[in-house]
Formats: sequence, C-alpha cells, structure tokens
Amino acid sequence: MKFFLRASFLLLVTIALLPAVFGSVDDAQSFALQAAEPYVKQGFQVREDYWGGDLGSGEKKAVRQQLFKGNEYWFWLGTEVDRAKISVHVYDSDGKLAEEPDSWEKGHFAAAHVIPKATGSYFIIVSVEQSPEERTHWALVYGFR
Amino acid sequence: MMLFIRDLKLSIGVLCGLALCADGAQAPQRININQLSTTVEDVVVPLPNEIFGALNKLGAVNWRAHVRTDKGPNFTERPRIALLLGTVIADGFIAVQAEDAETVKEIGQRVLSLAKGVGVGNSITPHAKAIIEAADKRNWNNVRRELDRTQNSVQQAMNEVHDEKLSQLVSLGGWLRGTEVLTSVVNDHFSSDGAELLHQPDLLSYFQKRLQAMPEFDLPIIHQILDALVEVKPLIDVGDRRIPPETVKKINEITTRLGQGIVTKD
Repeated sequence: MKFFLRASFLLLVTIALLPAVFGSVDDAQSFALQAAEPYVKQGFQVREDYWGGDLGSGEKKAVRQQLFKGNEYWFWLGTEVDRAKISVHVYDSDGKLAEEPDSWEKGHFAAAHVIPKATGSYFIIVSVEQSPEERTHWALVYGFR
Repeated sequence: MMLFIRDLKLSIGVLCGLALCADGAQAPQRININQLSTTVEDVVVPLPNEIFGALNKLGAVNWRAHVRTDKGPNFTERPRIALLLGTVIADGFIAVQAEDAETVKEIGQRVLSLAKGVGVGNSITPHAKAIIEAADKRNWNNVRRELDRTQNSVQQAMNEVHDEKLSQLVSLGGWLRGTEVLTSVVNDHFSSDGAELLHQPDLLSYFQKRLQAMPEFDLPIIHQILDALVEVKPLIDVGDRRIPPETVKKINEITTRLGQGIVTKD
C-alpha cells in the first residue's frame, strides 16, 4: 500500500512537471499568436514566419527586420513560462526607440507597435527580464496592415 | 473647492501615469546598435504583399497590368524550380491585389506542381486547395493568408530535409519579382515615398551572402542574380539621401531582365 501511494505521488509530481520539462518554442509561439488574435480583427495580417529560441534571465536577443514606411506593424512576443517577465522593443537603425506609446507587456505576452517613419532596417530586441526557469522559451510573430 | 478639484485631477493623472507604467513598456530611448552585432538574428524576408500594401497607400495602382498568366517552362534543376516557385507565389500576391480569381486559381495549381518538382508537394496540397476555394469565394484575405502559409510550408519542408539553400532561393525569387513590380509601378508614377520602399540594403546583403554560399548551384541564372545584386546594392544603400527616378528605372531594367531569366529556359 505504501509503495502504491509513493508511486502515485511520484506519478502526480511527474505529470505536474511535464509542461515545464517539455515546454517548447512551439508553445511560446501559441502564446505569441494568442496575443496577436485581437489585432487580426483590426485588419492586421499575421506572418506565418516567426523567430524563436530560449534565453536566460536578463538575456536579450536582437532580430533585424525590414520595415516599410506606409505600413503599420505589431510585434508580439510570447512565452509558455508562468511568472516570466518578457519584453519586446523596436529601434531604428540609429538605435533610437521607434515604437508607439501603446506598446505593452503583461504575463505571458509583450507587444510593440511600430509605424515606421522611414523604410529600412529596424532592430527588434526581445528580452527575458525575469523567469523562474533557467532557460525561457520565447517566440516572436509580427503582423502588418 | 477649486483647489480640491485641481488636486483630484492631479491625483487621477498620477494614478493613470503609474498604471500606464505598470503595464507599459519601459525601454531606453536609445541603444548602441553596434553592441548587438553578436546576437542579431537573420533578417526575415518580407512578403511581396508587405511592399504592395505600402505601395497601395501611395495611390491607386493598376495591378491588372502586372498580372502574369504565362505558366513558364518545366525545369529539372531544383534551384531553378525553387526560384520559379518563389516568383509564382509573388505572382499570386499580385493577382490577389488585382482581384483576379481565375489567375489566382491557376497559380494555386502551378505552385502545387512546382512544389512536387522539388519533392515537397505533400505539404502544399491543402494550401493549394484552400487558395482555389478562397479565390472562388473572392475572399482575398484568406487567399493572402494561404499564399503566406504555402511559402512557409514549402520552406519548412525544405528545411526539414536540409534543403535550406533551396528554401532561400524561394525567398529570393519572390523578392526579385516583388522588386520588379515595385520598380515598375514607381517608374510609371514616380514619387520619393515610392522610391524609398527600395531602401533595403540589409536584405540585399543577406541574399548576397546566401548566394555566395551556394557554389554547388553553378547555374548561369544564379551568377546573373549575384552580379545584379552587386550592381544594385550601391544604388539603394543611400543612407538618408533620396532614391532618384533614374535609379528606380535602372533597378527595374535589372530585375525585369532577371525575371525573364528565371521564367525562361537557358
């Protein structure tokens, strides 16, 4: 009986830990797409292509992206890790912050809104600011209209 | 009483400000881009319709004049099929802009047959069907989404079998066709804002690097594209200066010549 209880307990702990162990960039992408959902109704076309990976707390990654003046862009960052704090910010090729003030971050999501003042290369900086995990998956999708 | 109202307004203002800070993005106003060099990911190649969307906002475009219905030849060399596939997907976006349902449906079939030619037909079949169904219903947003999915699925399937170079040629084919149409539109009705859409030096560098890493694809068209990119780079890498009409014309001549090369047998 004791053995059965112990085995059951171990099984429950294993099941509880499964999402953390097997969380993936695909899960992070699901969160990023979830953040994008309300914007699709506003006419944004979300690209199928996306960037993803994992970062430790305090680490950043930069993504270079060609943006066109006349279009409006949203970048959505997602993670599957609970209690992680993530951020996404967009800079122009001179290193000047290029996002609109309605950019936001909350829970599993962060988003940056850009209306480019010039056509050219921009840098999207993704960051895991805090996380209970050693490595935190992230995925970044973008949409335009 | 007035003082109380003023204090109340001030308090509400401070509270709103704090609330915004709590959920808002706190980011430095300026960063040193040079310090990012080691962590920068590859550029994502924009879809042709990202450029077409920006063009549309500058004024009405006669998209029908740019619709191409010629099916083109059947190639046996996989790099040539990949380049053509990217071009045909871009033609799909042009046909959507022109709201030409028949051409969109033909392109759906053509994409499927080209994808089969490079061994990734299975991943495309559902998208080709969805393109045709959406074109029948004149649901242009769905056609655009399916064209994007098609390109993404083709490239993912290629990457899975370690054909990343073919995947890059698909992107290149689409970019060249998009640039050909962009320069044609701007050449017909020049505007500085239209010409500015050509300001894509990092994308050009990206394609140059990728092509230089494909010595095994020893085909005349690949060499022609590589030479053309060398020619075009200084024309568009102009910093804050404006791109003049003669540059737009020159790039249009180059990309039109390459476009012909992609759809014509040697």
